[in-house]
Amino acid sequence: MYVGILRLMLMAHRFGWAAMLGTLLCLTVSHARANSVLVFAAASAAPAIRAASASFTERTGTTVTVSGAATSTLAQQIVRGAPAQIFVSAHPRWINHLAERNLIDQVRQTTLLSNSMVLIAHRDSSLNTLNPASRSIAAALGKDGRLAIGDPDHVPAGVYAKQALMTLGVWNSIAERLAPAGDVVTALTFVARGEAPLGIVYRTDVGLSDAVHIIGSFPPNSHEVVRYDIAPVRANTSDTATALLRYLTSEAARPVFERFGFIFLPKT
Amino acid sequence: MLTPLEIEIITLSLRVAFWAVLFGLPLAIAAAWLLARTHFPGKALVDGALHLPLVVPPVIVGFTLLVLFGRQGAIGSILYDWFGFSFAFDWKGAALASGVMAFPLMVRAIRLSIEAIDQRIETAARTLGASHLRVFATITLPLALPGVLSGTVLAFARSLGEFGATITFVSNIPGETRTMPLAVFSLMQMPGPNDAILRLVLVSIAIALAALILSEALSRRISARIRGSVP
Repeated sequence: MYVGILRLMLMAHRFGWAAMLGTLLCLTVSHARANSVLVFAAASAAPAIRAASASFTERTGTTVTVSGAATSTLAQQIVRGAPAQIFVSAHPRWINHLAERNLIDQVRQTTLLSNSMVLIAHRDSSLNTLNPASRSIAAALGKDGRLAIGDPDHVPAGVYAKQALMTLGVWNSIAERLAPAGDVVTALTFVARGEAPLGIVYRTDVGLSDAVHIIGSFPPNSHEVVRYDIAPVRANTSDTATALLRYLTSEAARPVFERFGFIFLPKT
Repeated sequence: MLTPLEIEIITLSLRVAFWAVLFGLPLAIAAAWLLARTHFPGKALVDGALHLPLVVPPVIVGFTLLVLFGRQGAIGSILYDWFGFSFAFDWKGAALASGVMAFPLMVRAIRLSIEAIDQRIETAARTLGASHLRVFATITLPLALPGVLSGTVLAFARSLGEFGATITFVSNIPGETRTMPLAVFSLMQMPGPNDAILRLVLVSIAIALAALILSEALSRRISARIRGSVP
């Protein structure tokens, strides 16, 4: 340990502190290079954002890195100073959380996409249809099966799922039978791997796995409208980030998002 | 001071760590004795394999457990079909993950203290007609007790802190697999200031510190007793 530090100091002495610090600085700021953009996107939207950004990269040469996780996780990382330049949120609560702290540029904030909630089962499951409004979810879970959803305390997909189950009056029968996941794609994975017999995810997530299929849909009025907002992160804004945001909200991006099954909302 | 939810999280963590160590300890003593006192072909490989959880990423351990012991896993599916027993999304799975992660720590500590025992004492007992088992139970194990103890405490503390393998293998379920580190992680995802995090952090530190002080005191007492009985 000490030898390592001594060696480092000797090196610094030999090559000059300035050069050493310069190198370290380059390493830390390399994320903010002019021709690259870092996007923090809700896990459910990340694959579509990645696909839409690919054609932006083709046109402009700008590298786009899309980091997908639960909206809540990403929002907390941005609060703590993550170098994201664009944030895509799956629930207004989280983008509002950042807006209250003046961390995003609200003037450029746009509602990008909408989505709907579905009940899924493993492809090999004997269940083909199940009306989520009936009280049959608990029965379909069997003796000790669990319902995979995003963690309803903070993951948007879980928040919507809980709202829908409460509206349909079945929440109490399954509140103790949940397998809450850190993001919605993880909930999908629980079902795809056969660990949980049923799950609630976004309709667009189902395409991510061959191992699951939709067995029921939640009525759109059973939960808040699923709303994906996109906004620049104020601390890391750049011209390329603005250009990417403009591209993602333009008609040019519509076909990509619709191919993934999203409802594309910007009016142009 | 603590909410009922926090008390549930703490008791769950203690229960997971307790069972992890309880099941791990006999196996760890056996493994330590084998590594310290016997020679067999492939010993280096076994030694390496036992230490793997110490060096591979915890998430890899969790994934391996999932593949083996998950509901669809090679062993897990048999356990479920035959006995209706399942680790999936269950605190017993959290205990398994913690036990596997803590195992090498126990083995290391116990093995070192077995190796430190003068083998001539064991040989003398053998020449006087004691069986291998008797030598182990009346000489090796009592003399290795300080190592057993420190290994146990270390493993217990490691089990309380286990995060990666647990969340990968059995997820993060309130009241079932949400132990202290997972609860802190979940609370960190929520907005606003959070006193619950601070309380859980303080409790974690207090438990770990108490365990270390206790083990130090016990091991001193045991060492003194051993010095007293073996001239």
